Amino acid sequence: MMATQTIKKKWWTNYAIWFILPSLVFYTAFVIAPTLSSVYLSLTSWDGISPDIRFIGLDNFREIMNSKRVHNAFYNTMIFATVLVLLENVVALGLAMLVDQVRWFRNLFRSIFYFPVLMSGIVMGFIWVIILNYNFGVINQLLDMMGLSSKKVDWLGDPDTALISIILATVWKSSGFFMIIYLAGLQGIPKEMVEAAEIDGASRWQQFRHITFPLLAGAFTVCVMLSMISSLKIFDQIAVMTDGGPGFETETLTYIIYKVAFGELRQGFGTALGIVLFLITLVISFIQIKLLRRREVEM
Amino acid sequence: MKPPRKFFDIILFAITLVIGIIFFFPIYFNLMSAFKSNPEIMRDAIAFPKGIYLESFKYLLTETDYPAAMLNSAILTVVSIILMIIIIPMSAYAIGRTDNRWTNGIFIYFLFGMMIPFQVYMVPLFKELNMIGLFGTLAGPIVVYIAGSVGFGVLLYTSFLKGVPKEIEEAAAIDGCSKFRTFWNIVFPLLAPCTATMVVLQGLGIWNDFLMPMLVLPSGQAKTMIVEIFYYVGEFSSRWDMIFAGTTMSLVPVLIAFVALQKYFIKGVSDGAIKG
Repeated sequence: MMATQTIKKKWWTNYAIWFILPSLVFYTAFVIAPTLSSVYLSLTSWDGISPDIRFIGLDNFREIMNSKRVHNAFYNTMIFATVLVLLENVVALGLAMLVDQVRWFRNLFRSIFYFPVLMSGIVMGFIWVIILNYNFGVINQLLDMMGLSSKKVDWLGDPDTALISIILATVWKSSGFFMIIYLAGLQGIPKEMVEAAEIDGASRWQQFRHITFPLLAGAFTVCVMLSMISSLKIFDQIAVMTDGGPGFETETLTYIIYKVAFGELRQGFGTALGIVLFLITLVISFIQIKLLRRREVEM
Repeated sequence: MKPPRKFFDIILFAITLVIGIIFFFPIYFNLMSAFKSNPEIMRDAIAFPKGIYLESFKYLLTETDYPAAMLNSAILTVVSIILMIIIIPMSAYAIGRTDNRWTNGIFIYFLFGMMIPFQVYMVPLFKELNMIGLFGTLAGPIVVYIAGSVGFGVLLYTSFLKGVPKEIEEAAAIDGCSKFRTFWNIVFPLLAPCTATMVVLQGLGIWNDFLMPMLVLPSGQAKTMIVEIFYYVGEFSSRWDMIFAGTTMSLVPVLIAFVALQKYFIKGVSDGAIKG
């Protein structure tokens, strides 16, 4: 009895709870509460407007299992989570090594590579819409100049090239961010180690493979995780570059949720898709943490 | 036989330069096009503008909702950041400086939020905002931005706090200084580099945000700059000059902030990532 009373007294007089309370209230009210109520909404056929919300059990999830459009969005999301993550990390590491090694204008180059990070996905997407435009776009104009007019492509209108165009534009936008992290990792590698290897006759490739890369493992883990999370969230550039088209070709899970919930007013179904996205995010994060942590130790 | 250092440096510089030009081109293209008339952009996209054509800026600033949208973007960014900086470091301090299962549990609970994509909870969130009367007001996005930044913010501040010595706080406690005053007068100023990182990263995210202001702010009125640009892409689909003027105006404040606070943009990213 006595013990519980002293603990209770402590609880009220402890400053910690009052310091934490405002964050706790905001976070619980506007992140956790809606996340929890999304579980209920996902079992309804709510349209987002009408006051009556009809409970339909697992029908939304059954539809998800059978919908070709959802399967395609899922497939695209997986493409982003693999191809985009791979390209972003290769490009970012390459840029970091260039900036680390280059002799002149190092800070200028670093700023140039970082600059696209500052842009919103909407602005960046629009610029690429113009660059990739069929008639007036710079890329097709270049092809014209080189006498390759027959090779001109409707980059965003053709289902074969739309997705890869979005991926490349996104690599251009985000690599600078990961470059900064790799660069910090590179600059943390002791110079003596590289010099010693050079004296021992190691080639540049061997130096990279056996010294630089293992010592970048920490930066690598962080970058892969961050790029994976951001690739699952890709939205703005799709909205402005293709609007999920042509047809539904370039929809991702985040995009289809928006389309279904606010374009087609099927908010119950949209929420059910949200639950699926959440589960996928959880599984991928979990696998990643397991795999990458183990790799880091081994190296 | 290895090539001499000088030769290697020149080759490396040439490669970096070419890649630099490729990376810089879209930005150059944007800035140049903002000062060109529409036929000029269509005729030759790459060329330098012939004169400085300001009609698109004039049009956007006098005939459209763009100035109101600029104001909204600024209000959302500034108010959200100020509130974040008031509430988040305090909770991170309480979590970082106490070690019991309640605060540790709350820490894990906060971090969990970083894994929830916005699209997962946006539909119920809008329903909730509607119920409490924040849907269609500027306060709506603000409360959501604050709530959404708790996980990342607490993580950033608690890891920074580990490097801040406790002795001064202990001395202040002996002198009878309250925890509240100790935090604001002694600890908070020491957290300044971390606060700068927080301001820069969250500010950029809010300024550039699209989906939430588009859906939450009332239709038929100015929303934010980024949302207006998105609408212009549909509305003025053949008036590229107009859209480029808009994107340029949205980029200029970011550019100024980047030049002034470059250290925090760059150091903040790497510190945040490595500690996190």
